[in-house]
Amino acid sequence: MLRESTTAVVARGDVWRGASATEPFEAGWASEAVIFVRALKPPTGAMPLAHVEMSPDGMRWMPEGTTFQMPAERDGIAMVRIAHFGNWLRVATDLPDGAETTVLVTIHLK
Amino acid sequence: MADGPRHGMTAALDTKPVSAPRPLIATEIGLDRFDPLSRIISYDDFNRGTCGWTQLIGNYEGSLDAMLPGFRPITSPMLSTLGHWDTGSHGGMTGSYAMKLATRPFDDAITVALKRLTARKAGPIRLEFYMTFKPEANELMLSQSDVKAIGFLLDLQGGSAGGQRVMPHLRYLNASGGSLQEKWQFKRGFPDFSDIGEAKETVSHFHLGEDGWEDLSGASQQLCYNEIPTKVNWHYVRFDFDLATMTATHFQCNDRVFDLSAFDSIRIPAMKNLWCMLNVCMFVETAADNRAFLYLDSVCLSGDF
Repeated sequence: MLRESTTAVVARGDVWRGASATEPFEAGWASEAVIFVRALKPPTGAMPLAHVEMSPDGMRWMPEGTTFQMPAERDGIAMVRIAHFGNWLRVATDLPDGAETTVLVTIHLK
Repeated sequence: MADGPRHGMTAALDTKPVSAPRPLIATEIGLDRFDPLSRIISYDDFNRGTCGWTQLIGNYEGSLDAMLPGFRPITSPMLSTLGHWDTGSHGGMTGSYAMKLATRPFDDAITVALKRLTARKAGPIRLEFYMTFKPEANELMLSQSDVKAIGFLLDLQGGSAGGQRVMPHLRYLNASGGSLQEKWQFKRGFPDFSDIGEAKETVSHFHLGEDGWEDLSGASQQLCYNEIPTKVNWHYVRFDFDLATMTATHFQCNDRVFDLSAFDSIRIPAMKNLWCMLNVCMFVETAADNRAFLYLDSVCLSGDF
């Protein structure tokens, strides 16, 4: 049996300000994920760290432990690899006052 | 059994060569819960992945910002075990997984997933699927009126110049304005198009807005919502359409067959690059600031050829 694999676009042109996150995504069938976050436009303000989060139910979220720097320029891309995440996944960050970025976030699962 | 031929079971009854039964292992692969026409165009059991279903995107040129606003909140479908905080994974009808469409958490949000095909023959086709829907169970409440609607549409175009692009739409309007509606609706007419981008090579229309929905004749139907947001029950839906005449011939949900005498589709002059298009779309809409979920256990599209 060929291994299952998929790419999911979980944020497409979403504008992030303040506390922001991708929509909950279920990936319980997968054992590993690579997540890319790309800035589609020049971000404004200081770009903070972002966090991968896990959830028991898609509604309550906890840090998975992986953090990364949000891209600070147009077409900048951040990438993380994770495994052992259960089912629900999302990326969350908290942009400071006045900061804004337009993102494309993709999750690559297998 | 419905009126369509059953694979491997109706050879003596079938006198049309184009409808000759084809050998299938229906029981093993789950097709026996459907009543397909003689040719299986696609059978999507979401225990085998997303089977070619993807998220809808609006047309754009140069920038995603050129996309019409109605398309922007659309999200990606995913494989789900229907996991609930209080009971764990509900699972699908016959396996662990279903395909889940999940909206964003605001009122009047919509998401759409689709499968893009083309037609081999302008003749009868049959869409069948097993589905269920629920709001996100983030309150210890029934939340029965949080999902506005679930529905489906075909996006079709004939194979030669002079034809039409035809888009039959049906939705189950579950609730609006905090009140249960529980009725089936359709949409027809000629939509407004917008130019997309400066090159004027692309147009777009958002055909899933709130405007234009009309009640089917005898539209009311109460479905099995069950008693709390984390209990779900699967429902059967069947829609027959004739690609030769571009008319709907049968619509059924569970035990109800609906009168289609007043049904019609959105009809548009044929577009320059959509010949023989056969797209199948599913959607779910919210009626509250709460995510709405449409789950599809399996989808079977068949044709008479």
